[in-house]
Amino acid sequence: MDINIQPILQSWPFLLKALMMTILVSALSTLLGFAIGVIVGALRTYGGRFANIVLGFYVDSMRAIPLLVILVWTFFAFPLVIGHSINAVTAGIVGLGLHLGAYVSETIRAGLTSVRRNQMQAALALGMSPFQAIRTIILPQAVIRMLPALGSLCVIAIKDSAIASVIAVPELLRQTQIVAGKTFRPFELYTAAMLCYFILCYPMARGVDRLYRRLAHLGSS
Amino acid sequence: MTDDPILIFESVVKRYGDLTALDGVSLTLRRGEVVCLIGPSGSGKSTLLRCANALDPVDEGRIRFDGHEVKSTESSVRLVRQRMGMVFQNFELFPHLTVLRNITIGPTTVLKLGHAAADERAKKLLAKVGLSDKALSYPSALSGGQQQRVAIARALAMEPALMLFDEPTSALDPETIGEVLSVMKTLADEGMTMLVVTHEMDFARRVADRVAVFDKGRVIEEGAPQEIFTNARVARTRDFLSHLGWHGEGAASVSKREEA
Ligand SMILES: Nc1ncnc2c1ncn2[C@@H]1O[C@H](COP(=O)(O)OP(=O)(O)OP(=O)(O)O)[C@@H](O)[C@H]1O
Ligand SMILES: [Mg+2]
Repeated sequence: MDINIQPILQSWPFLLKALMMTILVSALSTLLGFAIGVIVGALRTYGGRFANIVLGFYVDSMRAIPLLVILVWTFFAFPLVIGHSINAVTAGIVGLGLHLGAYVSETIRAGLTSVRRNQMQAALALGMSPFQAIRTIILPQAVIRMLPALGSLCVIAIKDSAIASVIAVPELLRQTQIVAGKTFRPFELYTAAMLCYFILCYPMARGVDRLYRRLAHLGSS
Repeated sequence: MTDDPILIFESVVKRYGDLTALDGVSLTLRRGEVVCLIGPSGSGKSTLLRCANALDPVDEGRIRFDGHEVKSTESSVRLVRQRMGMVFQNFELFPHLTVLRNITIGPTTVLKLGHAAADERAKKLLAKVGLSDKALSYPSALSGGQQQRVAIARALAMEPALMLFDEPTSALDPETIGEVLSVMKTLADEGMTMLVVTHEMDFARRVADRVAVFDKGRVIEEGAPQEIFTNARVARTRDFLSHLGWHGEGAASVSKREEA
């Protein structure tokens, strides 16, 4: 098998843009997913029965529906609900974020409930509001404890961004497909794409592990 | 000590399901007074402290602090808690914050004190509890006794009118109990009003103005430490004291002699 990296060299600006899109979509969907996850996780833990049931329904549906279906639905079906189309990048970020949010919320919830009850009492005894206590005392400890799980979710968010290629988000996999089709060099191009994902994800996974080992003692009350 | 009551429990009843944890407790603390609560495990001592600052709502009766009724449902409860320091058996320092930040977080988030002023206040308190060199350590690097002294400083940073202590030394190694008790003694000498749940009979005898004996959710006896320790009227009190290895006057005078 002869290897020819010429196509990659020729279209690298195009592919670099695609890589940037992958990073952008991953970063924004992670941000969205974590924001949703923290809010939903805290509301399910402290918000009473009603919030728990309603948000539990959201979490369960996100876990029961394939991500691919969520993305396709967000891009093709949701516009019919709101009456105008949305661009693929937005649909991708929203779909990925909603899906990720469910998993983050479960992790955050497990973290919050694992913090000893007396920590909350100590915070309230200082005169803090429940919101202040959660934000400054309980949540930081929960996040530290759950760092390995949250790190895995970040890595999964990067990997899952590739699924957004099906709704034509111009991210790495999608654009690689285009170049591979034009140049008839699938081996070189898909290998390069695979390496890119690895280079994005591997340091992330290792970094979070190392961070956790340094911070673990700060989460053990 | 003045005659001015600061914390009043009036026939307080607290139930957990079928269990009556507090069964009509009446107790008054005057400003500047140190009251020690003693009594067997499960008798409701911790529950009483949690009711005092409304971490637990009471079912019947009422609690008055500084002239106002303490009600867990009202937002004013936060003002009450700001003015009542609480020290827990297991310290409950915030593990993700430095010692300094543990002490300043109350003043900055609750009292909205500036960081510079809060730091200054915290440093004075750390000096007071003898831990100036630990400001930047994390709780996990401290011994139990050191953690409890930080917890006392954290409560004092809110400049409370009253301190509640729930068995502050029972989770400590014997060799570090003394350092915590001596900080508490200093506080008492400075005139702090204190309600202390403790099994340290020697501390109660030396520092308390009054001792209240708890059993099955009731105050079964209350009086000056000398009375309780040497001349308890209630049989249950004498039982409890002898369980702890306290044998009345003889033992008391022995340890007095040791002190001298
Ligand atoms: N949150 C709760 N839910 C249910 N029961 C409780 C709760 N807190 C305390 N109790 C019960 O109330 C009773 C009094 O408990 P409390 O902790 O006040 O006793 P205590 O005098 O502090 O005992 P100890 O010396 O062991 O600390 C106990 O029987 C306990 O099991
Ligand atoms: Mg107790």
